[in-house]
Amino acid sequence: MEIDFSIIWPYMPVLMQGLWVTVAITLGCAIAGSLLGFVVSLGRMVNNVLVSGALKLYVEFFRGTPLLIQLFWIFFCFPVVLGISIPPYVSVIISLTLYMGAITSETFRGSLKSIEQEQHDACTALGLKHSTKVIYIIFPQALLRAIPPLLSNIVSLFKESALISSVGIADLMFIGQNISNSTAHPVEFLTTVAIIYFVVAFPLTRLVGYVESRMLTRYAI
Amino acid sequence: MDYQFDFHFLTGKADMLLEGLWVTLQLTLYANAMGVVLGFVLCLMAMSKFRMLRWPCQLFIEFFRCTPVLLQIVWFFYCIPILFQVYIDPITMGVLALGLNLTAFNAEAYRAGIQSVPKAHFDACVALGLKSWQQTLYVVLPQSLRTAMPVLLTNGISLMQQSALVAIVAVSDLMYMGKSIAVDAYRPLETYSLIALIYFLMALPISHLVNVFERRQDAAMQR
Amino acid sequence: MNTAEVVVNMPPANAMEAGQFIQLDNVFKAYNNELVVMDGMNLDMRADDRLVIIGPSGSGKSSLLRVLMGLEGIQGGDINFHGQPYIKSENNDSKVVSDELHSRVGMVFQHYTLFPHLTVMGNLILAPMKVHGKDKQSCIAKGRELLARLGLEDKVDYYPSQLSGGQKQRVAIARALMLEPELMLFDEVTSALDPEMVTEVQNVMMQLAEQKMAMIIVTHDMHFAREIATRVVFCAGGKIVEQGTPDEVFGNPKEARTREFLDKVLHLN
Repeated sequence: MEIDFSIIWPYMPVLMQGLWVTVAITLGCAIAGSLLGFVVSLGRMVNNVLVSGALKLYVEFFRGTPLLIQLFWIFFCFPVVLGISIPPYVSVIISLTLYMGAITSETFRGSLKSIEQEQHDACTALGLKHSTKVIYIIFPQALLRAIPPLLSNIVSLFKESALISSVGIADLMFIGQNISNSTAHPVEFLTTVAIIYFVVAFPLTRLVGYVESRMLTRYAI
Repeated sequence: MDYQFDFHFLTGKADMLLEGLWVTLQLTLYANAMGVVLGFVLCLMAMSKFRMLRWPCQLFIEFFRCTPVLLQIVWFFYCIPILFQVYIDPITMGVLALGLNLTAFNAEAYRAGIQSVPKAHFDACVALGLKSWQQTLYVVLPQSLRTAMPVLLTNGISLMQQSALVAIVAVSDLMYMGKSIAVDAYRPLETYSLIALIYFLMALPISHLVNVFERRQDAAMQR
Repeated sequence: MNTAEVVVNMPPANAMEAGQFIQLDNVFKAYNNELVVMDGMNLDMRADDRLVIIGPSGSGKSSLLRVLMGLEGIQGGDINFHGQPYIKSENNDSKVVSDELHSRVGMVFQHYTLFPHLTVMGNLILAPMKVHGKDKQSCIAKGRELLARLGLEDKVDYYPSQLSGGQKQRVAIARALMLEPELMLFDEVTSALDPEMVTEVQNVMMQLAEQKMAMIIVTHDMHFAREIATRVVFCAGGKIVEQGTPDEVFGNPKEARTREFLDKVLHLN
């Protein structure tokens, strides 16, 4: 079989449409998921066993099971359990947001815990109230520290989002696979799709390193 | 909520689930064996002094880290037979795809471990007159393994979860079996809940181990 | 304007008398019920005292400062400040009885503990604005004046990571002074510094001493101790073994343990 990459050109616009869907869903779920993750990370520090326990279970379960099952589960669960039918894209957005929430809550938790005892001591010495300490000292530092790992989380989500193709969302993966099946040229199309993913994700991973070193020189954190 | 849960039908499907579980375990174990060993080799090659060796290895690592696993799996199943004119059985192919992915991620874990060895230790080795291989074997390897271990284990668990993706190319693992049961019995909720629980419980002891390792490491660093 | 007024908040005149400033009464403190760091400690500090605490590691020097700052609780005894209850041992958690008294104490730590995400000015004005509710403009004006006095006027917009160790420590002192404390605690503030930066920090402390600032200093630098102290306190095993003027303690130590300790540290130099 001849390998001929020139056949991909007519399909480029369609693939770009798929990329747009992938990027849009990734960004939307990254933002919603990060907000959720931050709230969850705070909730887990609450002194209420019921709240922190339930949140822990949520985090552990979404981190400890394959995303594919989560996608299927929510895809089938909502219509059956709640008796409402929701469009597939809403179901995957819910899934990816919940998944991202669990992942990023650990990122935030880690960065919140990474604030040294000395910083707390300094706040006590200055007589800062607890709320002042949290808002002006702990949160800003924790959020700054969370930026690089959060970016990594987003890159992961970008890659993991390929799974939504399995429930029929026309993302980059779905479109690439469809074309490769219908044209019977998997090598050309699947390789091209891989390169597109790479071209987006690779610079982002470099960005993580750059941001990390910037933070180190600017804030030494 | 009017839905009546009924897990009873699943008892009749135990054979299928066990069969699928066995495939999942095989995929996980073999791919991990591959990733732990080849990851170290790849890491050393990617840190080599020779550009012609270093660059391809770095490209390999970055490519596997920056593309979706699902795509890698699909690519292997569709493209390897065409490109190399070979037939490989689905499980081996799954191990190959997952194992190479893990190799790339583990290589990064080893690299971080090696880089975490304090620069002063290399100086100390020179001062003590250790040979280069002695330095690697007695000083660098033990310390970097210690740092890399939790990450290797975490990568190993992630791989088990990622292995569910082979169900999409019809490898009959736990996920695939679950999917067919769900379709046959038209009971997706119960089936997927059970499978999720199985994956979760399999990952649990290992993630606990990771916690133990990390706590020990923290304690060791404080000393 | 008299610059001394900007920095040093003088306590009332009667605080110069014994029993009217800081008073430790039989204070006991242990970690995990095992490691005793303050073993029935008694101390009477007057507002015109500059106490330098010396002693071997683990003798309870830093613990004393951390307790006075309300960072850690005590398990026995009481501490009075201005003749009022300041710290009580009844409840381990409630470290400080009076927030008002607490705000009259400032502390500088060994490792600077500046807030890395705030500029120098941001570090200075946070507490006066949020704790004392002062307006931003007057805080900034005061901060500028303070920084100028400490030779840091050009570092206002720097982040801590862009400063040298000595500069960071001077900023930390300025940050504490912004709250106009009556008592300053210095916990080994030059221990983490490179030798060439020690003087710039010690000079600032001498400057404060000349303005009669009350301070308690924990240090390993015996020459500096002799220079700045009005009273030297030698601690060992959680107890005050000996105290007196620098000349008394360094020149003619009475206790064998003091002599032994001074022999060791002074012969090192």
